Amino acid sequence: MGYLMAGIIQLAVIIVLAPLVNGIIKKIKALSQKRKGAPLLQLYYDLYKLMKKDMVISETASWIFRVTPYIVMSSVLLAALLIPLSIQLQPIRFMGDVILVVYLLALGRFFMALTGLDTASTFGGMGSSREMMISSLIEPSLLVAVFTVGLLAGSTSVYDMMQNSTLTGLAIFQPVYILTFLALFIVLIAETARIPVDDPATHLELTMVHEAMLLEYSGRYLALMELSAAIKQLLLITILVNLFIPLDEFFHIVNPIMMLGVSLLGYLVKVVAIAVLIAIVEIKTVKLRLFSVPNLAALSFILALLGFFQYWIIGR
Amino acid sequence: MENYLQFLSIAILLSGFILVANKRVDSYIKTFRLQSVLLALVAGLIGVGNIAREGNWEIMIVCLITLAIKVYYIPHLLKKTVQKVQYKVEKDFFLNIPISVLICCALVIIIYFVVPHIDDLRNANLQVYLANAMALVLIGLFFMISRKKAIGQIIGFLVIENGLFTAAILSTEGMPMIVELGIFFDLLTAVLIMGILVFRINENFESIDLDKLRNLRG
Amino acid sequence: MSSTISGLTFLMLALYGLAAVAALVFYRHPKLANVIPNIITIVAAFTGTTASIIHLLSDANRIYLGNLITSVPYLSFELSMDRLSAFFILVLSILTLAVSIYSIGYLTHYYQRRNVGLFNFLVNLFILAMAGVLLSENMIAFLLSWELMSLLSYFLVIYEAEEAGNQRAGLIYLIMTHLAGAFLFIAMGLIYKSCGSLALSSTLAGAPVWVKNLLFCCFLIAFGTKAGIIPLHIWLPYAHPAAPSNVSAYMSGIMLKIAIYGFIRFVFGMLGAEFQWWGTALLIIGLFTTILGAAYTLVEHNIKRLLAYCSIENIGIILIGLGVACLAFSTGQLLISALALTATLFHLLNHTVVKGLLFMGAGAVLHTTHTKDMENLGGLLKRMPITGVFMLMGSLAISAIPPFNGFVSEWLTLQALFVYIANATSGIKVLLIMTLAALAMAGSFAAASFVKFFGISFLGLPRSENAAKAKEVPQTMLWGMGLLAGLSLLLGILPLVMVRLLDQVVVGVTGATLSSSLRGSSFMMYYPVTVMKNSLTPSTVLIIGIILVITVWLIVRILSWHGKEREYGTWDCGFNGLNARMQYSATGFSKPLRIIFRALYRPNREFEVEPGVSVYFPKSVHYDTTTEPVFEKYLYLPISGALTGFARKFRMIVQTGSIHRYLIYILVTILLLLLYFRCFS
Repeated sequence: MGYLMAGIIQLAVIIVLAPLVNGIIKKIKALSQKRKGAPLLQLYYDLYKLMKKDMVISETASWIFRVTPYIVMSSVLLAALLIPLSIQLQPIRFMGDVILVVYLLALGRFFMALTGLDTASTFGGMGSSREMMISSLIEPSLLVAVFTVGLLAGSTSVYDMMQNSTLTGLAIFQPVYILTFLALFIVLIAETARIPVDDPATHLELTMVHEAMLLEYSGRYLALMELSAAIKQLLLITILVNLFIPLDEFFHIVNPIMMLGVSLLGYLVKVVAIAVLIAIVEIKTVKLRLFSVPNLAALSFILALLGFFQYWIIGR
Repeated sequence: MENYLQFLSIAILLSGFILVANKRVDSYIKTFRLQSVLLALVAGLIGVGNIAREGNWEIMIVCLITLAIKVYYIPHLLKKTVQKVQYKVEKDFFLNIPISVLICCALVIIIYFVVPHIDDLRNANLQVYLANAMALVLIGLFFMISRKKAIGQIIGFLVIENGLFTAAILSTEGMPMIVELGIFFDLLTAVLIMGILVFRINENFESIDLDKLRNLRG
Repeated sequence: MSSTISGLTFLMLALYGLAAVAALVFYRHPKLANVIPNIITIVAAFTGTTASIIHLLSDANRIYLGNLITSVPYLSFELSMDRLSAFFILVLSILTLAVSIYSIGYLTHYYQRRNVGLFNFLVNLFILAMAGVLLSENMIAFLLSWELMSLLSYFLVIYEAEEAGNQRAGLIYLIMTHLAGAFLFIAMGLIYKSCGSLALSSTLAGAPVWVKNLLFCCFLIAFGTKAGIIPLHIWLPYAHPAAPSNVSAYMSGIMLKIAIYGFIRFVFGMLGAEFQWWGTALLIIGLFTTILGAAYTLVEHNIKRLLAYCSIENIGIILIGLGVACLAFSTGQLLISALALTATLFHLLNHTVVKGLLFMGAGAVLHTTHTKDMENLGGLLKRMPITGVFMLMGSLAISAIPPFNGFVSEWLTLQALFVYIANATSGIKVLLIMTLAALAMAGSFAAASFVKFFGISFLGLPRSENAAKAKEVPQTMLWGMGLLAGLSLLLGILPLVMVRLLDQVVVGVTGATLSSSLRGSSFMMYYPVTVMKNSLTPSTVLIIGIILVITVWLIVRILSWHGKEREYGTWDCGFNGLNARMQYSATGFSKPLRIIFRALYRPNREFEVEPGVSVYFPKSVHYDTTTEPVFEKYLYLPISGALTGFARKFRMIVQTGSIHRYLIYILVTILLLLLYFRCFS
């Protein structure tokens, strides 16, 4: 029962919250440009509208095109079940660990890249090719960073890692954590198709990566794809905030439900903070040339490796 | 019986010397036949002993095969070959005959120098058998070197084989049947092939001088 | 119990022999020569599966199957089966079962063109030789079967001898395989010298250190060549595309693994995995093999060569696991060693299943489209729907994506690395973390390659006439592929069943058991309690995943109740009519990575434009790009050049062509040897 409740809370919070993050980022960017910008909840309206719309499906498309939205959506939701939003929520921990999360995201990516090729569109293949390239470059630093945090906790389960960083005080002030945090932040930017790696707002063939794969989608499938992209982004943010900025130790409330509420509130604040950080990065940088992305990935990898060396020398 | 065997093994070695001292092709074949007869005698002696002791016929069969192949069939084959290529007397040598015989003596001395050193051979008889047989192998090899015509090489090869056979049969008192049979088949094919080769060389170069084969080199 | 096992094993061997004979008997009737031997092979494989499973479930460890002792000294064939060989027999039998079903359909396209009877004869002897390697108890039998295996596979590689390049592929294979054989012979001599026995079960515990190190090097080269480690891999990308697809499935699926078997058997069993540098060497080699194999997979667009490079990558992963096992074993951390070895063996099984499937699929594509080049394929999923599904499953599995089996073994390997990083001595930790990074990168390279593999050949529009006319392949071929595809999913969902069997095997090798760490019923898989507390339950993942898919589908349907679907052409930028040439090509797909890693690939490009009316309307454009085979160019060609040069000179001076001179060489050698013996021993 505990698992079921926890799972439902997890999914509900993540699905509801995910589009908001996009809204926040967009709003901040607009404000920085002295625009009013779209409403904070614009993505919710978009998704609702897309759900109601008719669909145009390519004649060339096979069944892969139709199942992909569901597979991508479920894979991110499955991953969502494995990343607790708060230490008060016990996830289904025997189900898997952070490695499973990484590979579930890979499942989604695999199918997304396939749909890019499925419609025989000129742009789709470009998108899949670039997406696979970026993921290849970013994967080593992701795993190394995650392993370093895992080694500190002595486990690869996300819950254990969270617990461990709660024990050590505000984790982000320790050198190991700050280095891995930065590495993972770059991973987050690359994986969620944000500036400087990709620009989610553009549909220019020279710069598209993520959007190019979705170009043929419309209606409810597009809604699903957009929503799952938002959820994936929130998931990666969740990993960041919960591993590196645990706040729960500052509250001592006996009532578990109250505690959960406070904890989730704290989580919300942290997510908003990271969203602001992402927005600032988007404002301050320009999109990189595709062939400059490796430098960014290398930077991320070096940060992760330095983090590991900290662990290796100091042992914690 | 040891005495007989020792005598035979010396006699086989001596037949090797006779061969080196010869220059008529007919006598090569005759000497080889003589050597094979001696060999068959060795096999026969051991075979009879074996039958008497444990009723094992294997060596006796080997003896009979030796008689059939080495004493009768191969010399017969060689004779036919020689008749066809019409070649009777070896005329030019790399080394003259006395020196050849001296070199063979040196080979025997080297062997006698080496063999007693083999750790597992503490039995004096065995040492002698093995030394003689090995010396015969080297003499065969030397014979092949010293003769220019292809017939010499065939005979030399056969002598080497006889040496190996003597070594095997005298030191182990009979190898497993299957090995012997294998060797016989091997030998037979080798001789057949070489016989054919001699014809071919003769046909192509109108001589059986092996140095002509140099022309084949690319 | 043991009599049942030995009986079944003998039955298996006899049936393979019978199949070979049957193939020869019916060689004049292609149909009979195809169907009858293959059916016998299927029965034999089934028997083998049963025997090995019974053995793995029973308590018996080593079962002596008997011997064939000839009166010639040393020449005896002793056969026995312990758990390790039983496991490999199981792998062999599973693969054989699927491939021989597949072959019934696949061989039909050889009718009237080639002798199918000969093919089946060779294949069955090949399988028999492989079983012989696995079951041998002494070095003689091992070597004999090993050489037989190599030779027969050579004949199978050049089965389509008249096609351009196949002879050369066979020749490269033959040379490399003999290199392996030569080092095995050296190793055999050394073993016999230092322990006086040819039995595989003898140990070399008392041998001097240099002998052990030398032996390790010999085994590394010998088995490494056969397994295809970089830089000894060059035969693989030639031999696999040249061989008929079912033979590729055997070679990649099991023959490479037999080298791994040899490695485990000799390095763990005989040498006792004693020194740390052995494991370190394995790790480093594994690291490079994995990353380079994956990198070469990515740029290949010949489907069979792509799969061959992918095999190299997976051998690298297996070696990494083996390296960790070896290192942990040498430092006495037996539990970690057992974990790593379990991961290795599981990955090995998975690779056999999946690579068998993929090669059969490639064969199916070849069977109907007659091309191996991805640039001529496309749109096959609509034309061969069932093959397409199986290939998708295979692609997912080989990219280590849940819920397929590849993921589970990847997970186990990563866990082994994780546990060992926590417990290793400090210098090794850095190596291990680099290995982790390499694994991660290779994993995503593999995913990219298989997105390309499946996406380009099965999705989109057909790029050639042949691809457009493709039809679904015969039923038997589908059954063969389906068997392995199903098994791949099953192993991915219920890994604990296999891990428990593997534990039996691993106990025999390392002496440590994981059973205390494996909790739960067979639907669950918990992971090490003693060292770490990680767990994975693929079945739950799958069930929850299915529930989520259904829920999402229902919610979406309810929300968009009135939504309609309309079919229309893909967006073509208003050009009126999209054609196959506008699609992304295989070359284009891998181009970004090719540019990033150009130092590694050293791509050459040819770009020719025939100018037309203006720069923007050229008459024709020709673009071609090739990647340089680095190892061949910078390692093998110089070596072979030097060798032939030396040989040429040597021939002038020493090989004069005079028989007398040769005979003198012999005489002098003998005399020198005799004198050496006299003076120095």
